[in-house]
Amino acid sequence: MYSYSIRTLDELKEFLYQAMRLEHATIPPYLTALYSIKPGVNQDATQVLRVIVVEEMLHLTIAANILNAIGGTPDLTRPDFAVDYPASLPDGETDFKVGIQAFGREALATFLKIERPAQRPIHLVGKGLIHRKTSPHTTALGNDPRHEDLHFYSIGEFYSTIAEGIKYLEAEAHRVGTTIFTGDRSRQITSEYYYSGGGELFGVTDLKSALEAIELIIEQGEGDGGGIYDDNEHELAHYYRFDELVKGRYYQKGDQPGHPTGPQLQVDWEGAYPIKANLKVVDIDIKKDPELREAATAFNTRYGEFLQLLTRAYNGQPTLLLEAVPIMFEFRNMILELIRNPLTNHPGKNGCPTYEIPGSTKQAAVTQQAEVRA
Amino acid sequence: MLFPLESALTADPKTVAASGDYDIVIIGAGISGAIIAKQAAEAGKRVLILEAGTGANRTLAGYDDLLTTFYSAASKDNQSPFPLNANAAMPRSPLRKLQAGQTDSSTYIVQSGPYVSDTTYTRIFGGTTMHWEAKTPRLLRSDFKTRTIFGQGLDWPLSFEEIEDDYRLAEREIGVSANVDDQQYLGQTFPGDYVFPMRGLPLSYLDQQVNKGIEGTSVELHGKTYPLKVRPYPQGRNSIPNPAYDGGKGYRPIGAVDTHQVEEGGRCQGNTNCVPLCPVQARYHAGKTLAKAFAVNGKSSERLVELLSQAVASKVNIDPDSGKVRTIEVKVYKDPASAAHETITVKGKVFVLGAGAIETARLMLASGLPSTSGLVGRNLMDHAYLLNWALMPQICGTMRGTSSTGGIVDLRDGPFRERQAAFAIDIHNDGWGWATGAPTSDLLELVDDRNLHGADLRRGVIDRVSRQLLLAFMIEVMPVESNRITVDPQYTDPLGNMRPILSFTVPEYTMKGAAYGRHFARTVFARLGAQDHTYYDPSDFGYVDFEKQGYAIRGGNHLAGTHIMGTTKTNSVVDKNQRSWDHENLYLVGGGSMPTIGTANVTLTLAAMCFRSSRDILKYLH
Repeated sequence: MYSYSIRTLDELKEFLYQAMRLEHATIPPYLTALYSIKPGVNQDATQVLRVIVVEEMLHLTIAANILNAIGGTPDLTRPDFAVDYPASLPDGETDFKVGIQAFGREALATFLKIERPAQRPIHLVGKGLIHRKTSPHTTALGNDPRHEDLHFYSIGEFYSTIAEGIKYLEAEAHRVGTTIFTGDRSRQITSEYYYSGGGELFGVTDLKSALEAIELIIEQGEGDGGGIYDDNEHELAHYYRFDELVKGRYYQKGDQPGHPTGPQLQVDWEGAYPIKANLKVVDIDIKKDPELREAATAFNTRYGEFLQLLTRAYNGQPTLLLEAVPIMFEFRNMILELIRNPLTNHPGKNGCPTYEIPGSTKQAAVTQQAEVRA
Repeated sequence: MLFPLESALTADPKTVAASGDYDIVIIGAGISGAIIAKQAAEAGKRVLILEAGTGANRTLAGYDDLLTTFYSAASKDNQSPFPLNANAAMPRSPLRKLQAGQTDSSTYIVQSGPYVSDTTYTRIFGGTTMHWEAKTPRLLRSDFKTRTIFGQGLDWPLSFEEIEDDYRLAEREIGVSANVDDQQYLGQTFPGDYVFPMRGLPLSYLDQQVNKGIEGTSVELHGKTYPLKVRPYPQGRNSIPNPAYDGGKGYRPIGAVDTHQVEEGGRCQGNTNCVPLCPVQARYHAGKTLAKAFAVNGKSSERLVELLSQAVASKVNIDPDSGKVRTIEVKVYKDPASAAHETITVKGKVFVLGAGAIETARLMLASGLPSTSGLVGRNLMDHAYLLNWALMPQICGTMRGTSSTGGIVDLRDGPFRERQAAFAIDIHNDGWGWATGAPTSDLLELVDDRNLHGADLRRGVIDRVSRQLLLAFMIEVMPVESNRITVDPQYTDPLGNMRPILSFTVPEYTMKGAAYGRHFARTVFARLGAQDHTYYDPSDFGYVDFEKQGYAIRGGNHLAGTHIMGTTKTNSVVDKNQRSWDHENLYLVGGGSMPTIGTANVTLTLAAMCFRSSRDILKYLH
């Protein structure tokens, strides 16, 4: 049986890079769903999505902190960093696709899958990774970076493997009187630069803080060991916040998972713009919708610049995160421009951001394709 | 609505009326009541807060509803976000000009001419911090003894030194953003290791442009030279937490209407509409302190602080023998749209009136509780604002940043205060809005008078608005006994409570400051090459003639003085702990206790005083 344990520092670095990639991959779907909601409706859904987007950004930053702590180099500009949607995420023995779509029942079903607490059934415990061939056209997340076709059972399991790897490598290092936490502390992003963002951001400097960081990511997503709240009984886990929207009811303290008993809430399932899911720039007719196409490209360029800025921020210039804030406002405006306008070639459907980042491998393929089609 | 549900629940009137074990009953869920409630709960005391408003804005959804109301309101004044509620009415625009001797009772505050004040306060959960500008300067040392130094106003029974520690507690509670270096002027000093909870917010581009034009220049006043420069204001809005705060422990911005962290107030995004209501709760409001107070549990994990909303305190009942407050009568209405209510009686050991300078005095007077000194309702103060506006020679990015980030503050103090009022000048980042109703007024002019449309209109608006400079002179007002709040049974609200009657004349000392301020503004505009557009309309409700010139004076909403603090029961209403001289278990807290207001917005100082009162209350209870 293939051992998926992390045994070298380089492997750990690659896993953490994949963790950043995974955390980032959830942001475009949540962000798009959030802005697809029409003004004046779905106040609760808007709040839920907004909170979760912010927390995913927190997770991305935490993953960068861990990578920095062990002397790694976060790089959000690597050609494979931004994924091609729909991308594949692990969900037990099968995968599911996460894509860019409007807020609605379908999107919510996907979001629940992203955050689902998935523990192996007894008969699969200790059975290693799940072998599954991913189509070469699909980005798969949550797999073993060393073996593309070997998938973790869940995101939680992916992180547990990282935690075990950190513990193992740190113990090994201790044995020879050293540590894996050799990273420059000034590269850590602390609450000075990021607060009120769904959790306390702390520097990662040792084993304890590294494990706490991983725990925070897991608990905010899935809840604490199946409970609906995260560890401090303070915040509802993402999964259960989405579940509130599905069930049309709030959870309150003492509730059992799946059975919210709080007040009812209203979700307007039609209260979102009908965007074309997983749109690509080439799908926007350059002759009929030149402005929309230009807007989509402009957004992608700006998003690419945003990832470059984050990369610099995570590489010793944390103050640059302050500059990222106004860019987030730009995104809102740019996305709304896309989402509120119809696509001529897709009657009844509106535009949407494509998140095809210039410089990424997939984007290169798209460009070639565009040339062929032209 | 992501916050814990239980925090949305309010107490039940019947249970409240039947309860005999409140240590402290607080009237008003503003910053004063919030601080006292939190301090008392942390000491294990049972607290009841009575709030006249609906309390709906305790929830994130309720807060967002206020924003929606504001966005859809045609008139964007301080009170626009807050729904009409006749049972807990508050002062609102528009106001009309009155002649001398004429009375207007058509608005909540009854006013008599000729001067009409547009001062406001907010009767809602969170109080006036729901719409404040969040500037948090401290009073200067000299402001505590203006009588001794300048022969003006009154001395405080407290020195700056006695209140300094409480200033620091207030700065912590509000989470003030400022840099010590910027605040060391006019003799203001800080201990060597002091840092504010958060780092100073940057000056706006407009501030910088104004500074460029005046830095290095000076003015002369009564033989003394005052250098000019734009200094950043300390502010109660989130910036970057200072890691050096609290001996290196850092500062953690927490607390909002919602206990969920993401809703606890984001970082200031420079929303120009942060007054009246910050869209992201970056600006402090008392709801943040209240959230902490509600979270405190007692020994058997019961909540120590209860809130009864829609509860309007109507009468303070005194035990004639001891002079102590026995109960408070409270009218609890069911619906803001109806006057139907039940009257309950609330018992407690200590009573705190923290309803704002006007409402607290009103309640005392309506209860027939004039003090030994006869000063309840008297000495009403509010900063007098004189607006001066001009067009800068170049585009200055007006409308970027929160409403005011910096100002010219070097004339807050000086020997000239023997003869005329001091002032602080706010540079308004939101253009001429306060003075002329811009940018709406500009838009109407460009469309109706100049027939602009499309790209020309856009360019026209940019050219017109982004050069707007508004200097708001916040002028000192000293206590004058005839400036006052009274009540009269002929003026009541739907619940039958007597409404406040305001009589106010802008004192000559202040008008001298205003006249100099106008001159000063002209000097600054000339140095900036800015074109003066200031015009005071004689038909303006706040128009005041002074030495053959006319000025439109605006209220600053910095209300103070109506239950003034002093050294004896004959010269004041409360002692230096804000305890009533006449009723030993009654505290009258807030701006009303302040003997002078200098040129500092009152909230930080009154918050500091409430920390002091909290200690005194706890001592009294033991």
